[in-house]
Amino acid sequence: MDKKNVFSRRAFLKGSFTAILVGTGTSLINFDFPTFRKITAAELSRLKVVQSACPRNCYDTCSILSTVEDGVLKKVEGDPKSSFTRGKLCAKGLSYTRSVYSPDRIKYPMRQVGRGSGNWKRISWDEAYTDIAKQILKIKKEYGTTLPICLNKYSGNLNILNYGIEGMMSSIGDTTRATGTPCWPAGIDAQTFDFGTIYNNDPEDIVNSKYLIIWGANPSWCSVHSMHFVKEAKKRGCKLVVIDPIVTQTASKADLFIQIKPSTDGALALGMAKYILDNNLHDAAWLAQNSKGAKEFFDYVNENITVTWAAEKTGIPKEVIEKLAREYATTKPANIWIGYGMQRHTNGGQNVRNIDALAAMTGNIGKSGGGAQYAQLQTWGFQYNAMVQKPPSGIESKGNRSININNFGAEVLNAAEPPIKMLWIACRSPLTQDPEPDMVKKAFEAMDLVVTADMYMNPTVAMSDIVLPVTTTFESTGISVSYWHYWLALNEQAIKPMYETKNDVTIAMELSEKLNELEQGSCTYPTSGDWDSWISKEFNPAIYKQFGMKDWQELKEGPKKAQTGLIAWQDGKFKTPSGKYEFLSENAQKDGHPVLPIYVEEMQAPKQYPLRCLSPHWKLSINSQFQNLDWMAAINNEPFVEIHPKTAQKYNINSGDKVSIFNERGEVNLVAKLTETTTVDTVVVYEIWYKDKKININTTLKAIPSDMGKKATGMPGIAFHDNFVAIKKV
Amino acid sequence: MAKKLAFLVNCEACIGCHACENACKNEYQQEASVRWRKVYPMQEKSFDVPVRVHVSLACNHCEEPACMKVCPAKAYTKREDGIVIHDNEACIGCKLCMMACPYQVPCYDKNLGKVTKCDMCAARQDDGELPACVKGCPMDALAVIDLQEEKYQKLKASLPGYPKNEITHPTTRFVAATVGKQIRRGEE
Repeated sequence: MDKKNVFSRRAFLKGSFTAILVGTGTSLINFDFPTFRKITAAELSRLKVVQSACPRNCYDTCSILSTVEDGVLKKVEGDPKSSFTRGKLCAKGLSYTRSVYSPDRIKYPMRQVGRGSGNWKRISWDEAYTDIAKQILKIKKEYGTTLPICLNKYSGNLNILNYGIEGMMSSIGDTTRATGTPCWPAGIDAQTFDFGTIYNNDPEDIVNSKYLIIWGANPSWCSVHSMHFVKEAKKRGCKLVVIDPIVTQTASKADLFIQIKPSTDGALALGMAKYILDNNLHDAAWLAQNSKGAKEFFDYVNENITVTWAAEKTGIPKEVIEKLAREYATTKPANIWIGYGMQRHTNGGQNVRNIDALAAMTGNIGKSGGGAQYAQLQTWGFQYNAMVQKPPSGIESKGNRSININNFGAEVLNAAEPPIKMLWIACRSPLTQDPEPDMVKKAFEAMDLVVTADMYMNPTVAMSDIVLPVTTTFESTGISVSYWHYWLALNEQAIKPMYETKNDVTIAMELSEKLNELEQGSCTYPTSGDWDSWISKEFNPAIYKQFGMKDWQELKEGPKKAQTGLIAWQDGKFKTPSGKYEFLSENAQKDGHPVLPIYVEEMQAPKQYPLRCLSPHWKLSINSQFQNLDWMAAINNEPFVEIHPKTAQKYNINSGDKVSIFNERGEVNLVAKLTETTTVDTVVVYEIWYKDKKININTTLKAIPSDMGKKATGMPGIAFHDNFVAIKKV
Repeated sequence: MAKKLAFLVNCEACIGCHACENACKNEYQQEASVRWRKVYPMQEKSFDVPVRVHVSLACNHCEEPACMKVCPAKAYTKREDGIVIHDNEACIGCKLCMMACPYQVPCYDKNLGKVTKCDMCAARQDDGELPACVKGCPMDALAVIDLQEEKYQKLKASLPGYPKNEITHPTTRFVAATVGKQIRRGEE
């Protein structure tokens, strides 16, 4: 042992020295090269471990422990105190040091002369605030309202304090807001009609399932921590079935993978329902006590549905549907995880209602190991103090104006009386994530001022006039909860903000100060406040009770898990108008949807664009975040399209060829990757923003709404997966 | 008897998520192109049905390391417990080891002008800690095992596509992935 340590120490000293020498010459960052060493007591005193909370738009919302040495973030680890995070992080979370110290960080405020020109000039924060405040006041004077100012902020940072951006807008008066969500609204509405709201079992409860159908979700890439519980369930005898149009990574782990024709999920659910009814496998006692409209639904199924029809619709053999239905209905408890992918269709919400109905008719609702899991907002009952701000005195609020976040470009351009003249973009990259990005670009071009707050120079920042550099999670403070698991975590500031970066609430406070300096009383946003008080104002007695806390400061000891409500609908008190599970939903009908979970026809490929293009999430990124980092680029930096070998052959395409994916909206050139994980009529292009590559699959995507979303989120979603394209070799 | 430490890679548990790779990067803060651990997709044709199966590989800590044999600077040593160590101080950056290793393990760090390599987190292990990749894997698909133990004798020493192991006798052991049943849509 002695010998080893001597060796180790010598190697470390040399390694460290070399690294620092090289580091000073080539980069702003002086990382030690920490190999082979014992940490000394003196070093330990310079080390601190800080609690962080990942605020990304992700199921897993991890509790993180950040190691900081002399003010430098050295590494991150999952917090073992969270039984969901289990001391583990995903590939994205584990790249956080790189996102903080990336040479690509935007370091100071800049103004661009000529949008898209790249002609950026460094300006001071004061200059930035002055420009912005003057524009706001000018608009207000010219139009007599602040409605021409439009905010497009979404999910890039779901830290509760980040809702301060909305608060900043409210504090100047009425504004226009990009409203809705691209991700999951159709499914939210579907579950709102059926159950009253979205509410899933604690995902840690998956271990109690005896039968698990993962339907249109790919947790191996999008919720890695959940896969541990899936694995554990399998170990305890649970059968895992994955239903998906493509062999995903999760499908590759299934006991049974069933390949379904995209957007026909409801037909499969109804075919299963028919078999269950024919064989009297439904839970009549549960239905009698807990549901409304079961008879009407069963009449519809009996009169309209056959398993043969479902087989034709879905491409799944009849006997497979029958066996699946029998196993699902007779293995208790049986669990369905309904993914967000399968609701990104023109009939997506209705398909979710069809699947919910399966869970209800088999009495799998309200039970440990059972459920129709989609998402939950049970742990989100904060005060939203940062978000809710009063308009200035003397301004009579008539309410904000909503435009559809899912058709942003066109709706900005079409807004009238008053028109939209200024955009504020935060926690979003519409130019990479929205459908019809050419239209979004036109909207940007039509503005008097575009302000974007971001960390990196992405295509959205590139089309802005002013960019405000924002902090990462580690340079700011906050609180994060998940829309999936039941943990609550505090994010303590780990390091000082790099360069001149500021967090969004600070930006709001300082802009407020500037506005009031130029015109006293023009902004009500607080101009000061310490982080402890900002955080404490977000809590209330209900949250304290839910998490078994007396004070939020207890979160400094570690994350906390909700103590109640971990099994959705266990009390049988549904939040629907009838208080029951509603097969028959008058609310659905009121919103223009079928009253029952009947089948709604899926979109068909037009002749000239015969291939369906799916654009799911990618394992090394979440929307526009992470893939731009060099650590991720080292793993993959080549945009590609997955094509079935038979389709490739038809178009004379070989593996590695450059191909064009196109339709009447646009075109992208990608490298062909031949794989039988997809089918002959479907190509797959993961939605990724690669740094320095002008490749965006949304170029081909029309702003076609999904069927639902308006009730719960204000706007319908997007039918991302109803995108039809043609392909050719280039 | 001295231990014979080896990585155990459980492809059945692995979900190809690359967390192990970035857990390594996170621990050692390497230059982007330096990848001590890499997750490789296995070829679809290795299986009866098309699936996404991955193998996570770092240094195989071979019994007869080719890197060690060819290194003119004698930068490589094999510890008693089997870990192959590369001495950064002695390395002259000639890259001969990179050419000799059948598994493309040694990495050239352009900032250092030298080669670096996975040392199975020897220092962490000496402190009683698991290697960063093992600790970080969300599926617990990686482990360090002692090949002297009887129970590990029957583990696979190779997988389809893995370079021949007769030359260097890598110590990495594998649990192969089992593949479930697939119901495929007709491909008319």
